[in-house]
Amino acid sequence: MKQLFAIAALASTAAAQGTLFVGTWPHQIQVVDEAKQKVVDHIELQTGTSHSMQISDDHKTIYASTIEKNGIEVIDVATRKVTNAFLLDEGGKKMRFSAWAPDPTGKSLYMIVRPIEKKIDRFEVGKTQFAIVDLAQKKIVKFVDMPGGEDAATGGGRGGSLRFSPDGKYLYRMGATITIYDTSDFKVVDTIELSKPQFPGMQNVNLGQQLDSLQEPGVLVSLFNSSDPVVHKNIFGIARFDLAKRTFHFTPIGPAAASMQGLQITPDHKTGYTVTTNGTGGNKRSEFWAIDIPTGRVIRTQEFDGRARYTFGMSSTGKDLYIYGAGYDIEVYDPATLKLRSTIDLNADQTTGMIVIPAK
Amino acid sequence: MKHLRAVNHKARRIQEHIENDVVAMQGPPTPAGQRPHVPMGCSIVFSPGWEVDSSGGTAGLCQPVERDLYDCYISCYWPAQVPDHMNNYPDWTAKCAAATKDWRNIDLVFP
Repeated sequence: MKQLFAIAALASTAAAQGTLFVGTWPHQIQVVDEAKQKVVDHIELQTGTSHSMQISDDHKTIYASTIEKNGIEVIDVATRKVTNAFLLDEGGKKMRFSAWAPDPTGKSLYMIVRPIEKKIDRFEVGKTQFAIVDLAQKKIVKFVDMPGGEDAATGGGRGGSLRFSPDGKYLYRMGATITIYDTSDFKVVDTIELSKPQFPGMQNVNLGQQLDSLQEPGVLVSLFNSSDPVVHKNIFGIARFDLAKRTFHFTPIGPAAASMQGLQITPDHKTGYTVTTNGTGGNKRSEFWAIDIPTGRVIRTQEFDGRARYTFGMSSTGKDLYIYGAGYDIEVYDPATLKLRSTIDLNADQTTGMIVIPAK
Repeated sequence: MKHLRAVNHKARRIQEHIENDVVAMQGPPTPAGQRPHVPMGCSIVFSPGWEVDSSGGTAGLCQPVERDLYDCYISCYWPAQVPDHMNNYPDWTAKCAAATKDWRNIDLVFP
């Protein structure tokens, strides 16, 4: 009987695991069952090779951008079907966009674009602007000049990454400066200068490249680096953003590595994991760091055979750590031992980050 | 070179050339001024390429290099070294989704 209970418990654990969506060459999104650790389906994209993906707050819709002609595809997570696909390029006019985000209603995308028009004798590069894409009309319906001029568009992710507050009233652009816009008129509501001290003894704050959701709508976390003004020693910490309340908290933790990937936090919010790298080329060394979130302490580290280039992710349950990108496979690490446990073969080279959908 | 001093224009040009060009492969990280000169721009960039990584060596390349072929290509690292996927040869990889496994199926292109 005990064995039966054990099998039932194992089955329920397996069933509770979620689904991974990863964009791959040439124009597909692979669907991976976390429990089986196998590709179970794939989605054919209609406009080209996916380069980035976003997920709606309710986890029902995936938005993918494609690179050849600046396409947008909308995918229904439940049916795994493309429900809308269109190109932003028009003839000789290319709409290169960098940062982008779906609004909470799911009707529009907001992005930072730079139009490039092919003339008879030259390419004319337009100015960097905000653009609103109407998904029903399948086109850009509004351009808005960047408040503060084009220079305001500098920062991480070629213009910073964009996020909405849960009510859709505010748009956050995370770059060298965090700028908060009112979405009704694109006026700047507030800015946070990361180069200025957030706390005594802390300046030049740099956010990590990745902004990770705490699996709560409207709450983001990221790693940050900063240096002190006296001996300029680099430290890292955890930055938390409450997009609804417009509040930001920076918690310093300890000496920073040369490079740190995004922070992944377990669903119970107790443990965080990141990957650090020191050295370059053949001397590059990669380590997992496990962080106790309530106390802000590094509790465990483990070196691993990192690829030359990779992305770090976590399963929906927090029971697997993923190293993926630059290749056709996803390496699965055990968070308890931080050792390689298995490999998922996608049989196609990855071109995007990973979307993790928890089980219902 | 510390006992020699460039005194005319040509000698100064030679000195600048030597300071910025000769970089040992796989040495320790070099100061910014001594890194290999890598021309920038989508059409000519070679960093990283199939030949060297961003530090001028080979150990920083993906192993094998085919792992990174497509992602580097669409990230604007190797557009000039591979066929023109955008316009003239959109199907050059139609039979090869995982370059590490299937690179023999990549089409040869004769412009």
